[in-house]
Amino acid sequence: MPIVNSVYRHREAGKPLVTLADYEAAGGYVALRKALTQMDPDDLMYQFHRSGLRGRGGAGFPMGRKASFLPKDSPNPAYVVCNGDESEPGTFKDREIIEFNPFQLVEGIVMAGFAVGSRQTYIYIRGEYEHQARVLSAAIAEAREAGYVGDDIMGSGVNCNVTVYRGAGAYICGEETALLESLEGKRGQPRLKPPFPAVAGLYGSPTLINNVETLAALPPIVDRGADWYLTMGTEKSPGTKCFSISGHVVKPGNYEIVLNQTTLRELVFEHAGGLRPGREFKACWVGGSSVPVIGADKLDTPLDYESLQEAGTALGSGGCIVMDDSGCIVRASLRLAHFYRHESCGKCSPCREGTMWMEKILQRIVDGDGRMEDLQMLENLFPRISGKTLCPLADGAIFPIRAAINLFRDEFERAVEHGSPRPEPMMEAAVG
Amino acid sequence: LADEKPPEKPPATDLVKLTINGRTVYAKPGTVLVEAAAEVGIEIPIFCYEPRLGPPIGACRMCLVEVEGMRGLQTACSTPVAPDMVVHTNNEEASTAQDGVLELLLANHPLDCPVCDKGGECPLQDQTFKFGPGETRFVEPKRHFPKPLDLSTVVALDRERCITCFRCIRFSQDVAEDGQLTFQERGAGTEVATFTGDPYEGRFTGNIIDLCPVGALTSIPYRFVSRPWDIENTPSVCGHCPVGCNVEITQREGEIKRVTGRPQPNFKVEEGWLCDKGRWGFPAAWARTRVAQPMVRNEDGTMEAVSLEEAVDAAARIISRSASTAILVGTDATVEEGFLAAGLASVIPGGRVSRMGIPENPGLDALRALPSAELGDIDGADVVAVAGGDISDQHPIVELRLRKLTRRRGTLVVIGPRPQVMASRAAESVRTPAGQLSVGIPTIAKTLQGAERPIVIWDEADLAKEPDAAAELARVIATSGARQIELAAHVNSTGLRAIELPIESPVDAVAANAVSTLITVHADPVEAPGGARWDDALREVNDIIAIATHRTHAITHASVILPALMHQEQEGVLVSTTGRAQRLRPGSHGPENAAAAWELLIALSHRVGKPLPWRTPSQVFAAAAETHAALDGLSHDSLGVLGQPIKRTTATSPAGTLERREPAGKGLPAVFTTEIFGDNTAWRSDAVAALRTQAALRLSPGEAATQGLTDGQHVRVTSPFGSCPLPLIVDEALPDGAAFVMTGPPTAGAWGLMDIDHGPVRVTLAEVTT
Repeated sequence: MPIVNSVYRHREAGKPLVTLADYEAAGGYVALRKALTQMDPDDLMYQFHRSGLRGRGGAGFPMGRKASFLPKDSPNPAYVVCNGDESEPGTFKDREIIEFNPFQLVEGIVMAGFAVGSRQTYIYIRGEYEHQARVLSAAIAEAREAGYVGDDIMGSGVNCNVTVYRGAGAYICGEETALLESLEGKRGQPRLKPPFPAVAGLYGSPTLINNVETLAALPPIVDRGADWYLTMGTEKSPGTKCFSISGHVVKPGNYEIVLNQTTLRELVFEHAGGLRPGREFKACWVGGSSVPVIGADKLDTPLDYESLQEAGTALGSGGCIVMDDSGCIVRASLRLAHFYRHESCGKCSPCREGTMWMEKILQRIVDGDGRMEDLQMLENLFPRISGKTLCPLADGAIFPIRAAINLFRDEFERAVEHGSPRPEPMMEAAVG
Repeated sequence: LADEKPPEKPPATDLVKLTINGRTVYAKPGTVLVEAAAEVGIEIPIFCYEPRLGPPIGACRMCLVEVEGMRGLQTACSTPVAPDMVVHTNNEEASTAQDGVLELLLANHPLDCPVCDKGGECPLQDQTFKFGPGETRFVEPKRHFPKPLDLSTVVALDRERCITCFRCIRFSQDVAEDGQLTFQERGAGTEVATFTGDPYEGRFTGNIIDLCPVGALTSIPYRFVSRPWDIENTPSVCGHCPVGCNVEITQREGEIKRVTGRPQPNFKVEEGWLCDKGRWGFPAAWARTRVAQPMVRNEDGTMEAVSLEEAVDAAARIISRSASTAILVGTDATVEEGFLAAGLASVIPGGRVSRMGIPENPGLDALRALPSAELGDIDGADVVAVAGGDISDQHPIVELRLRKLTRRRGTLVVIGPRPQVMASRAAESVRTPAGQLSVGIPTIAKTLQGAERPIVIWDEADLAKEPDAAAELARVIATSGARQIELAAHVNSTGLRAIELPIESPVDAVAANAVSTLITVHADPVEAPGGARWDDALREVNDIIAIATHRTHAITHASVILPALMHQEQEGVLVSTTGRAQRLRPGSHGPENAAAAWELLIALSHRVGKPLPWRTPSQVFAAAAETHAALDGLSHDSLGVLGQPIKRTTATSPAGTLERREPAGKGLPAVFTTEIFGDNTAWRSDAVAALRTQAALRLSPGEAATQGLTDGQHVRVTSPFGSCPLPLIVDEALPDGAAFVMTGPPTAGAWGLMDIDHGPVRVTLAEVTT
């Protein structure tokens, strides 16, 4: 239930923290000063590790462990890359951090850079986030002016530069190796792993790559200590998580909640103001569009990594898309299939051809040209696509649709027989 | 195959033991599963895997296999063997995945196999047959494009057939490093394209056709020409330059249709890559100038078409009544033909033989006496130095080896007077003033210091002109312990030298009327260095018997014309620039009234009543091997498909220094280059018509100004030995103080600026006024 604005510090402050003065007044750069003056990189790494902070981009890999994979004896320089390519449908949590609390992100990046010995860090920001890129660049310029970025940060002798790099509009560039390819100026397509980025990432050098929210979570952890962070959430899901909620809810937006202490029902019906009058909850993609869709029976699931996994879905990026009973699950599935077909980079055959085929089949069903065997065929195709590719994009395309067919089979069968009529317009009630 | 289990290899300490489909396999550490399985005859289907293109990329997902203990399926192309690994390539999970990938690949792949050039020799067809689904479930319309797209004048692109395997892209980006090919669009709409939208042009573009596992990239000259079951493939050797790339010739009903790289490459030579001239030079066989009709000159001086028999008889009559006969062997002749020419000369009255090409000199001897390497050895070198020449144009495949060297961060150093494509990749490059290679040799010496496995590549034509530099380079190589690779100037000059055919030109004897009959074997002395002297001398000869494949200047004076076969049509042995003897095998019948020069020479010996005792090239080669130390122990059989190195017999101490040889004449020192698409082959082959370059004079802007010449003007270029008009191209990449002559095809006359010994010359320039 509780809201803890640890990453969304600007909400605590009640105003955007887009000037250095405002950020400092809100307690900014205390943590970095502490890190640079009282801690050495090993202490810092220990704090990251101990906090149990999990990557907030979607995969949920422990951040401290990931950082520990960087070889210390590499002849190449180490890099920190911040993944700001937030492109998952229904996910807009990083946008708020960048737009209203950019200094905290920059502070976190410099901290991570100090921990892994990186003198050059990059923020890869989604191409469509043009305004946010400007805000971020301005913040970095101001921080550099004040000696928080660049050479000899706060007189500590530590050098860490931060550079913003704008993507060109590709979902796949949120995948870490495709992001690195793009950052190197190449076509954004995933690389074969191993080697993993920690060993051979940007320009073949050791690279720590983390999501915006993950890096922005670091200053409070360092400031108040990993043990404070561990008091929130569960052992495997400590801390807070930002959820973006959208779809058929009255108050869509971002909400930073303490993991495990809020249920999906509370998120939808209390924080997000519930559904429109007279509507019933039908389905929800709780962790972005790439996770299995769930129905009303899972509303009381606590929002944390383990509980959601147990409920048959995943926490993912925290982009929670809600659908009420006015929505058509078949059309929604087609829309998602269209998205993944459009965003498949084309490198791996199963994803390139599979997403194309899935969209065509679903389109046929929606158009009323479906056959009953199409549903079996889809189910037969899923395992031939999922898990057969370099990156998880194909899995993301399969999971929600496979779950939708499982959960709402009758609706798919109805569509096969009669087609799927255009739904009524989405927004009929004012959004509060 | 799986049932015929070969005996398991004994375990060796450095081998990893693993199990694939229940069979014990031993493999070197680092071997990927695809290779380890292939060792024991287990095929794992692949599309994107091609080790010659660099590390695996795992894109096509065709080679998914199960490795016990690893989560999900693994790509066998990228998973290295590990001790006690248990792999299943054909259990239900792996088979379903392979079947699934093929079904998905075929979903959008047009089933126009009946009209696709690749049909019948298509890996996608073969893999589908072996590993794929029996039927398709895809009922939707497939993607369509206006077809086909000409990627260039020689490569066609059918975009809808592409399965996005990345092979062509990786070749362009990572092997030829021309940076031109890329994918555009994404997902199922991905297409192969060039970055700029311009045609894909270069020296190696045809290799993407060989690499393409489907019919997306096809050869325009071969488009719709044949079905794979109507053709016959023959392994042979390219005869268009001295590198000696191994090729595969495709014939249909006796006519050559196509040349491709070998499916089983010769890793010592070309590694499976071909240059575009080698690939598309074969249509020279039906060039307008091809000699296909035997002719005899009547008493009234007119030429009469006769049968080959009659022509040989006529030739024999001339030889029999001739007091002295000189045989001139061109550098395209095979070892057997050279040997037979010498044999014939020894049995006919007043017979003498000589070969064309660059004469030996002490400088070249000093270099040749040093331990030599093959092109494949470049892959093991840490430092490679190139002295002179123009690899990219004259020995193109060597460029790909050098690119590979620099990709793996080996050190390259390039010296020479010409702009070099590889200079930008070189650790050091020295543009030496024309005729002063010695200026760059200290740089080579410095780079070789401390090198562990150095190789020095040197150009025969350039160093022949500069004995001082040759001697100095030989000393540097000997001191450093490097091995050397010669870049020969002519196709089989190494082979003709190996059988000790004399190089002394008979031109003076001919001019002095001491030779009554001249037999040319693949030779035209007029369109070569010393051409003007020969042109005069030929007037003194009573009869010329020309054994030739194409019309040349000398043929116009001939009494008898005997049409000969080209390399792609005959048997024989060519010795490559690195001294590898390799067999030509006929991949085509050639013109009806033509015969191989070796056959004609044997026939002549019979008709003049002095029969040479051999009947086949194999017997001739065996006889040559018996009498010449360089070929000792070699035979057609021992050469096999990949050839054998000949023995080095030059034994000259590289200790001495040699005097510099001053260029003859006055004016600017001349630097000669034959561009890749500027030689006889390119000018005879229609397939590369759009790529041809002409003979030209190139000057730096400063030099052109000094000479009072402007771009595009026709300039008469004159040396003490000859003169020819050439168009002027002003080229900013060139230095002042030299005249760069692009020789073009020999008919242009530029070769005649040199004397017979290919020595250095200076030229004067004058605007051609009309």
